[in-house]
Amino acid sequence: MTASPLIVSLQSVTYSYGRDQAAISVLTGADLEVREGEFVVVAGPSGSGKSTLLNLVGGLERPLAGRISVAETPIAEISERRLAEFRALTIGFVFQAYHLIPVLTAAENVAWPLYFRGVPRRERMARAREALAAVGLAKEMNRFPGRLSGGQRQRVAIARAFVGRPRLLIADEPTASLDRNTASEIIALLASLRREEGVAVICATHDPLVAGAADRLLELRDGRLRQIPRRSLQLEEP
Amino acid sequence: MLELTSLAVRNVFRNVRRSFITIFSIAVGTAALACFGAFISFTFEGLRETTIRSELGHLQIYAEGYLDRRLWDPGSAMITDPDAVEASVRGHPGVVGVSRRVGLMGLGGKEGGAVVMQITGVDVAREAHFADAEIITRGRGLRASDHAAGVVGEELARGLALSVGEWVTVLTSTHEGMISAFEFEVVGVTRSGSRDLDSVLVKVPLSLAQQALATRSVDRVIVMLERTAALATTRPGIEASLSDLPGMRFETRSWDELADFYGAVVALYTGFFRTFAIMIGCVVLVSVANTMTMAVMERTGEIAALRAMGAPRRLMVAMLMQEGLVIGFLGGAVGLALAWLIALGVASAGGIPMAPPPSMTRGYNAYLVLDSAIALQAMGIAIGAAFLSALYPAVAASRIRITEALQKS
Repeated sequence: MTASPLIVSLQSVTYSYGRDQAAISVLTGADLEVREGEFVVVAGPSGSGKSTLLNLVGGLERPLAGRISVAETPIAEISERRLAEFRALTIGFVFQAYHLIPVLTAAENVAWPLYFRGVPRRERMARAREALAAVGLAKEMNRFPGRLSGGQRQRVAIARAFVGRPRLLIADEPTASLDRNTASEIIALLASLRREEGVAVICATHDPLVAGAADRLLELRDGRLRQIPRRSLQLEEP
Repeated sequence: MLELTSLAVRNVFRNVRRSFITIFSIAVGTAALACFGAFISFTFEGLRETTIRSELGHLQIYAEGYLDRRLWDPGSAMITDPDAVEASVRGHPGVVGVSRRVGLMGLGGKEGGAVVMQITGVDVAREAHFADAEIITRGRGLRASDHAAGVVGEELARGLALSVGEWVTVLTSTHEGMISAFEFEVVGVTRSGSRDLDSVLVKVPLSLAQQALATRSVDRVIVMLERTAALATTRPGIEASLSDLPGMRFETRSWDELADFYGAVVALYTGFFRTFAIMIGCVVLVSVANTMTMAVMERTGEIAALRAMGAPRRLMVAMLMQEGLVIGFLGGAVGLALAWLIALGVASAGGIPMAPPPSMTRGYNAYLVLDSAIALQAMGIAIGAAFLSALYPAVAASRIRITEALQKS
């Protein structure tokens, strides 16, 4: 059987906050490979650097050392402008706090990332409606975020993340603000997207529900990533 | 771009109270600026038309060299054939009146008292167009049948205790340098509005002035147009016609080139207006900068999320700048509407009673002439200042550290 193409590759990535003696090391030679369609969960204690790892993979931070390649692009080496274009085309983000624009309807929020890519409005809105239907919000398209529940908002955020058909979806604590039932629905949604769209998902979480749906579990401890069997992972309930 | 504008409008009204306060403060500033500009415009217009219609006309035509020699050798640069000059001017579109004048200085008085007089000989039959802003306070104006008659300024009449019906003797010199004297009967007392002018002003029939100067020439031909604004387009045509007259060369001066007092008033009031505009601009600048800074601070997480999703920096700057523009536009529009209502109120109340301006003898009722130029200036200042003040918050927002800002919900 042929392995799926590599979508994320980290080699000996180092990152720390602060400088010189006051520097706090977060990653010390971290390595990671994620293939297309994989659902990888990164766990670890609070402050271990999970979000930092996701920020590096998402091109929101640059490593101090090492190489990061996403979709065959060395993202640490390209300009800020090209990196923004790259993110718009290749990566979808799901944030813990949703970060929806409250003055736009659900459909307009979902369509907004396509604006950065120059997609015409009619096509943007059509694709946004499709994406919202896919996350079960066909009837809530014209509602403003303030009139949606937490779960619905996160669904809108997920629809917004995959409306541009990214190759990689990065989710930072996507269920942290949700109740257990809603969290289960969101995890199922991410898993089905991964299956149907072939998108690779990297998710940082404390939530055992999310960990349970992953293909691979990684633990970030002492600045390094290591793969662990599901049963040995000690996760805190959110 | 249209969608960015739509988003900007929606974002402006996210915090209705804050936006309302900002828009209201811009509106008050804009209204104040527009009203001040409208008041100045009324003052300029009134002073301009009074100057033109009581004294200068729109355009004065002189024989070449007269303005240089008028004090020491005026007789060498007179218009010897005023009929030909008037005929060449009269046919131009927009010209409603042409007349001729001759000026002289003299020492005049009655009994023991004498003062310097600035005497103008006018073509009485055609004077109506050129003196319709003049007010006769006693007696009557000059008539075509008058010869040894004169109208004197109110201050001059007061200074010499002149009454209508009294005779005044004037001592002057001819263009040849001979001492000359003449007498006229005071038939009326006039008020031009300018105290300085009224203290020396004497108008007599052209024939009497020419007799005193021993000449049949005039020193100027004056032209009145239907509209002051048409001067710039009419003047070149008149000058071209004058240059076609054989054996004569002329120079022209427009009313504003001769009206030093008007120029000084315009310069003074324009200075006030600019200072006021800068102050209003500063108010708008601070209001919008404060609002935009607050808006950016409140939306840091949202802005970071957009940047993470691939929004280029220039797009974030454009989005936030448009919010500033929307605030400036709304504030400016409301301010202009407010100014328009104030102008209507002032008009329906019969104007604002004003004290006499410097060197003027009478107060007047001021109105607010809110024309398109003032409206555009006030609007431009509101929008321009709002645009400038949004620049820093917008650029700062585009440069936020995405990962830190994402932590803020």
